[in-house]
Amino acid sequence: MVDPATASRIRHRALFAALAALILFLRVLPLTAVPTRWPAPDLILCLTFAWLLRRSDYLPAFLVVIVFAVDDLLSMRPPGLWTLLALLATEFLRSREMLLRDLPFALEWAVFAAVVMVMTVANRFVLALFMVPQGGFDLTILEVLSTLAAYPVVVFANVWLLGLQRRTGGIADGLGGRG
Amino acid sequence: MARDRNADYDFRTPVRRILIGVTGVVLLAVFLVWRIDSPRVERFRTAFVDRVVPSFDWALVPVTKLADMMSGFESYASLYDQNQELRRELQRMKAWKEAAVQLEQQNAKLLAQNQVRLDPKLTSVSGVVLADSGSPFRQSVLLNVGSRDGIVDGWATTDGLGIVGRISGVGERTARVILLTDASSRIPVTIQPSGQKAMLVGDNTASPPIEYLETPELVRPGDRVVSSGDGGVFPAGLLVGEVKADSEKRLRVRLSADYERLNFLRVLRSHPAEEIGEAGGLVLPAFPPIAPAVTLPENAAPTIVEQGDG
Repeated sequence: MVDPATASRIRHRALFAALAALILFLRVLPLTAVPTRWPAPDLILCLTFAWLLRRSDYLPAFLVVIVFAVDDLLSMRPPGLWTLLALLATEFLRSREMLLRDLPFALEWAVFAAVVMVMTVANRFVLALFMVPQGGFDLTILEVLSTLAAYPVVVFANVWLLGLQRRTGGIADGLGGRG
Repeated sequence: MARDRNADYDFRTPVRRILIGVTGVVLLAVFLVWRIDSPRVERFRTAFVDRVVPSFDWALVPVTKLADMMSGFESYASLYDQNQELRRELQRMKAWKEAAVQLEQQNAKLLAQNQVRLDPKLTSVSGVVLADSGSPFRQSVLLNVGSRDGIVDGWATTDGLGIVGRISGVGERTARVILLTDASSRIPVTIQPSGQKAMLVGDNTASPPIEYLETPELVRPGDRVVSSGDGGVFPAGLLVGEVKADSEKRLRVRLSADYERLNFLRVLRSHPAEEIGEAGGLVLPAFPPIAPAVTLPENAAPTIVEQGDG
């Protein structure tokens, strides 16, 4: 097609969309209808932030909006709100990429935890403001905890299986880093 | 196509900011539209799910079967015992089937004697569970029957053992069933031996509690819970489950439907019960008294003044 950098970018964006579709597909499988005691982690969120904090150029904003909008529609959430919060969070982290680039993993996990908690609290606050009936707070807390627990797994799966390393950013980087 | 490489990586261009801002406002507007006019947005969501999910059924069904097989592998060691148990159960079922067939014949004979016409309100449409709700806060499943099969919002759904939920959201090819365990599900029920009316309110657990019960002392664990048909919500007399008490002595219902293995569901056709709106002709309007056709001559002395031909 064009130069290898663009081809690689398009390939990776398609890969992200495919991974998100796979996660949604697995979540929608009718394995059992019994309400679970421990909610499943929000893997779309983990995947998005794992990719964002490593290669944010592979994750344009429109792709984030599309993935989260489909996620909203399929999981019976009020459409638009969680997507908006995800967009704001990804833009916030994208603008601070310089600071986040070389963090050790534990700090990156802490940043992710903070962002997820702010998103969740904002979600519940706006829903309460608009008087939308929502599930219990304890279920939400459990979901946040399982999402945080799943984040390292998602990150290591992406790094080891897909080779998603941070951009080293230097003139020597053939992909045109900021130099 | 020559592009300025640096512009691609310069994420702070004003155009991008404007686009992000516009997108954010659009998302907020979608949320507000959902809050103001929820049915319209829910119809869009139903149409979206209707379009997207069935196109994956070529993959959903085999993966579900594979998952079932894998969970079956866990009990591989006791395969022989399971086989024996299944054979015994099959024998029992055959005996019940014979009894049911005989009862059905007897029932038909008796009804024919009475010349009673059965209300065909419990005919059903069968469907297969396509997908889950995909969220820990909403308990619902997606069926592969929709408005082109005649499904209408509000119909009850059963899996043969007991009520599973209600239809809420019908697309052309799919329909969503809100399960009894979902937090927004409330159905009126009757508790059998005492005949009390109550509400079964879902709360995202596997055994929903009973609320608005007048005399809880009359209800004991093990009592049958059936739908009461109040308010035309559900057809009456459908089995829901049986009462159990949890560790806090609160009355909950152990649902008869097998929620772990929801596969084939039947949607029961029912139409709202007729409501009687007027008092009827009991209290007669003030007509003039009706004259008799013949007056006997010896009684011609006018004791009562009557109009009409004598």
